[in-house]
Amino acid sequence: MKIVFDKVDKNFGPIAALKGISFTVDQGDFIFIVGPSGAGKSTILKLILNQIKPSFGQITIDDIDLAFGKKDSIDHIRRQIGVIFQDYQLIMDKSVEENIALSLDIISFPKDKVASKIDEVIKQVNLNNRRFLFPSQLSGGELQRAALARALAIEPKVILADEPTGNLDAENSWNLVKLLKDINQKSNTTIIMTTHNQEIVDSLGKRCIEVKDGEILKKSIHSKKHDHS
Amino acid sequence: MEKSLKNLFIQKNMTTVNTTWHHIRRSPIQSFTALILMIFSFVLISAFLVVSSGLAKVLDYFETKPEITIFIKDNLDASIIENTKQDLSNYSGIKEVKYISKEKALEIYKQQNKDNPMLTEMVTANILPASFEVTVSDASVLEKIYQNYATKTDVVDEIIYQKDVISSLLDWTKIIRKSGLTITIIVILISFFSVSSIIGMKTTNRKDEIKISRLLGASNFYVKKPFLVEGLFYGFFGSLVGTLFVFITVIVFRQSINSFFNPVDFITNDFGLYGIALAVEIIFGCLIGLLASLIGVKRYIKF
Repeated sequence: MKIVFDKVDKNFGPIAALKGISFTVDQGDFIFIVGPSGAGKSTILKLILNQIKPSFGQITIDDIDLAFGKKDSIDHIRRQIGVIFQDYQLIMDKSVEENIALSLDIISFPKDKVASKIDEVIKQVNLNNRRFLFPSQLSGGELQRAALARALAIEPKVILADEPTGNLDAENSWNLVKLLKDINQKSNTTIIMTTHNQEIVDSLGKRCIEVKDGEILKKSIHSKKHDHS
Repeated sequence: MEKSLKNLFIQKNMTTVNTTWHHIRRSPIQSFTALILMIFSFVLISAFLVVSSGLAKVLDYFETKPEITIFIKDNLDASIIENTKQDLSNYSGIKEVKYISKEKALEIYKQQNKDNPMLTEMVTANILPASFEVTVSDASVLEKIYQNYATKTDVVDEIIYQKDVISSLLDWTKIIRKSGLTITIIVILISFFSVSSIIGMKTTNRKDEIKISRLLGASNFYVKKPFLVEGLFYGFFGSLVGTLFVFITVIVFRQSINSFFNPVDFITNDFGLYGIALAVEIIFGCLIGLLASLIGVKRYIKF
């Protein structure tokens, strides 16, 4: 999946959230989007998901212009993207397991393999003893992991992770990042992750887009400072 | 074993019907209201059907009875009787002219009073008058026959003319049919818009779930499907329960109702007909439920 931002502006009324953003993401890339709060990181992810539309410029995914793509095409693209939302976006009256099952149902995952897939991702994020609980019964970190499990279950081509370590302690943060790195390497899944955690960014040595006040300050590849793998 | 049970649980949880059932359980009062309105509508529809079909039979009974009966004097020549029959047949709009001889009249009298031998044993053919029973296809001719034969006192003994009975019955039937139909249509519309609003409210209540599902790539139809099935559920069970309630009630009280309308079978004994009516009403109910939910969902799911 190739994602291209071409001079994208996004305005919310008089406020310019993004100004002339351009970058390209190829299949298998691992990209960090960093920047202070309100810089426009989450807006970029929302635009990729076509949750909001750009005010100016063009966003294409696999040559489909998101602003003009047919509903079916947009739905098809969304079914290939696993999302870990900052506010989790889990359905409150469904258990962790049912939330995952819903995402599998949406992509028409073979019904006879659903149970084993749920087992697999629940183990991956270490939520086995929480699988029957509802989101209101989970801690912030557990919610984050439930959202991750849902994103992983659909075997996506792209994972969008909006501050996925925001509610995790240091150990779980590193575990999550390690998991995303493994997925990226083993299944060539594109990872686009927003974060405040500079230590994580520096340690992985991956591509980084630094955003401030809606503009890209610099695009760089950070050198590894730590090795937690 | 444990694994297969778990598989079954998860597969079950992913069906549309299960999601629909979940929606129904989550807002029981709204669901109950929608179902009750549907049941009430179909009670009215079915009652209207039963009454209409009974009234049609009552009308049919009266319409097939002789509409004018001319009793003739005793000891008339056969030629006069034949000429009178011929004369009656010559009026336009006549369906049938039937001559009832004294002997035939006695036969009919005995048949009508077979359960009461006291009434039949003293009666002979001589004391009963012969008559002509005239049925018509054009009611306007009745008045003409009546006027002409009322003056033929040498031949005619008495004329019984049921015009008033039939026209009054026809008027009442029309009024009952019209008011029944109007009330039924109003109730159907009320339940249609109520179900539509209830589904709309439920859609609004679940807008977060719909939004999340859409972001995960669910199509418009995927998110609408459980709501459409819910409308279908109300239509199906509303029509089934409402119709069965009326049909079972009339079947239970069939004998009492029919004896009141004797000799007309106001309530039919044909169970096949009940089956057909039930099937038609269920299809109608499903259509109403589906259409109402479609409109309700369309109003709220615009993305």
